[in-house]
Amino acid sequence: MTTSALETTGIASRRPMLPRSLVGLLLLGPALAFLMTFLVLPSLILLGYSVLTQSQAGDISLPLTFGSYERLVTSAAYRRVAMTTLRVAFFTSVVALLLAYPLAMVIAYGRPLASRITMMLVVAPLVVSVIVRTYGWQLVLGNNNTGVLNWLLSALGAGPASVRLLYTEWAIVIASVHVFLPLMVLPLAASLARINSSLNEAARMLGAPAWRAFLRITLPLSIPGLIAGLTIVFSLTAASYVTPQMVGGNRGLMLGVLLEQQINTSFDWPMAAALAAVLVAIALIANVGVGWLAERHFRGR
Amino acid sequence: MAKGGTATDLALSGLTKVFGTATVVDRVTLRIAAGEMVALLGPSGCGKTTTLRMIAGLVEPTKGEVLIGGYRITRVPSHRRNIGMLFQNYALFPHMSVAANVAFGLQMRGMAKALIQPKVASALALVQLGDYAERLPSALSGGQQQRVALARAIVIEPSLLLLDEPLGALDRNLRESMQVEIRQIQQRLGITAVMVTHDQEEALTMADRVVIMRDGRLEQVGTPAEIYSRPTSRFVASFIGASNFLRGSVAGRNGDQLQVQLASGGQVLVPSADGGRSEILISVRPEAVGLRRIGETPSASESGTPATVQQIVYRGQTTHVHMRLDDGEPFVAFLPNRQGEQAKTFSAGEKVWASWSSQSNWPVADS
Ligand SMILES: Nc1ncnc2c1ncn2[C@@H]1O[C@H](COP(=O)(O)OP(=O)(O)OP(=O)(O)O)[C@@H](O)[C@H]1O
Ligand SMILES: [Mg+2]
Repeated sequence: MTTSALETTGIASRRPMLPRSLVGLLLLGPALAFLMTFLVLPSLILLGYSVLTQSQAGDISLPLTFGSYERLVTSAAYRRVAMTTLRVAFFTSVVALLLAYPLAMVIAYGRPLASRITMMLVVAPLVVSVIVRTYGWQLVLGNNNTGVLNWLLSALGAGPASVRLLYTEWAIVIASVHVFLPLMVLPLAASLARINSSLNEAARMLGAPAWRAFLRITLPLSIPGLIAGLTIVFSLTAASYVTPQMVGGNRGLMLGVLLEQQINTSFDWPMAAALAAVLVAIALIANVGVGWLAERHFRGR
Repeated sequence: MAKGGTATDLALSGLTKVFGTATVVDRVTLRIAAGEMVALLGPSGCGKTTTLRMIAGLVEPTKGEVLIGGYRITRVPSHRRNIGMLFQNYALFPHMSVAANVAFGLQMRGMAKALIQPKVASALALVQLGDYAERLPSALSGGQQQRVALARAIVIEPSLLLLDEPLGALDRNLRESMQVEIRQIQQRLGITAVMVTHDQEEALTMADRVVIMRDGRLEQVGTPAEIYSRPTSRFVASFIGASNFLRGSVAGRNGDQLQVQLASGGQVLVPSADGGRSEILISVRPEAVGLRRIGETPSASESGTPATVQQIVYRGQTTHVHMRLDDGEPFVAFLPNRQGEQAKTFSAGEKVWASWSSQSNWPVADS
């Protein structure tokens, strides 16, 4: 009894002098400072640019104007690019999801060896630079018979240059799925692994065949991972630059590429800033929207 | 959900499961009558869960058959076996309300909504959770969750109910009241049930028959009273309750009883069918043992042996007197504390005469 009382006082006397909230703030400090300096501040400057006027000489200054946004909304060309961007991001997310789900199932429920090998295969592309991977897709998707896919198809008797994929939206979707697949698989697998296996067994015992147990139990319970994966892939695809630039061509012009053109070709900084703001908005809306949809679905059950 | 004519019998025939090189369940053959509740009892890792999961169809047997109502269902997938199952962790669907959980099995059977609702309501009423239908499982206590799981399992009118340590996660008091509740519902509905437990009291209170498993095999099958009073082996005798073991050699035969000379001194009579053995192991339950001072005359119908008191432990209802016999074996007596006096009169180191009714002698196999 006496020793434990002594120990308690010992601990009490070593209690930190600072209140806990302050300690938390101090620990967060470096990360907060980093984000303020390199994310929040530049974002604000960029947003500022988007509502300023650029002179003939190229100086950016007052007066305030929404001219750039106006041109974005009213110009058919810009609208077309925005729609392409949303379409590509949408199809990439959907295709990635369909491919990712079985992979995530194997990682979460497969035998240890199969699970580990699948995990490695999924993650392996991450160690190769996006540029190298996209060059690879250029070679594979080439529109004349030098493209690996066309060469293969013609060798199988489909006639010369039978598919035209390079420099279309579909080329971007294919390459983006490849790039972002791991970011869909990983949260999904984590979400699936958290589901207690006895839930599935209980459903089977209650008379559910495997597919119904999947639809009623596994799928709804994997929604958190689904939301995370969809949001990440949708936002990153919508904002991507390298892939659409390299395999999209003019027909697959996306907002990221357009933005780069505004800066390096048209030298129109306010317009570029407005485009950037739109991209951020898309990412935010995707984030909130997918979450909201999933939540509603989830509650509906 | 009145007691219907749906009760079915279960038969296991040579059921075997091999994982890799380990034979986890070894040729288990067992008949369970319609409406009977059987408890599989045994130490951890003896294959109870694996046996249950083979009945459920969640584990594929390496060899052997499972028959329900005379039909071989060994190759029938789980979802077509019509078996209700309770899991240790309840396994309620966390994203569905209590009512939706209970309705699930009926929906899977393609039952119309209008028919499902009253069935769900009466199943929930049966487990006294009628007011909780719209709650999510996470808003219920452990005991309530397992009652929902019970309602969910019986609402489908299963031909068999399987329970894998259903009360293992509950505290002691709740566990005892749930034991009674589950047992009452099982009897009322007349469902054939197989329960897995490693709690011997649970097995004795709930089951019509107890199956003792050991290393994947059936060690002994019988009613709780049979298992307790007539254990066949040293293993069963020490697994169910506590037991003293006395070594002896057969000195002669007296009718259907053997005269046995104890290694620790003293002669006893032991009931025995086979008299061919010369060495024998006798089990004596500690609560059957009384203590006398050396010199007091024992009665003729008593068995006994000298012992030295080592430790006296007061346990409320009983006082446990731990002793050592003259051949070095331990021996213990549970003395009832009616007046709280008898045990106090002995002290550590004292030589005593441990005695018990000769009817308490029971021969067991030394394994
Ligand atoms: N899928 C499996 N693969 C390999 N070995 C297994 C598997 N499932 C169970 N075992 C082994 O089979 C043996 C029996 O397991 P089982 O779960 O049936 O025991 P149990 O009697 O239910 O034990 P407990 O009381 O601890 O629940 C254990 O040694 C276990 O390690
Ligand atoms: Mg078990």
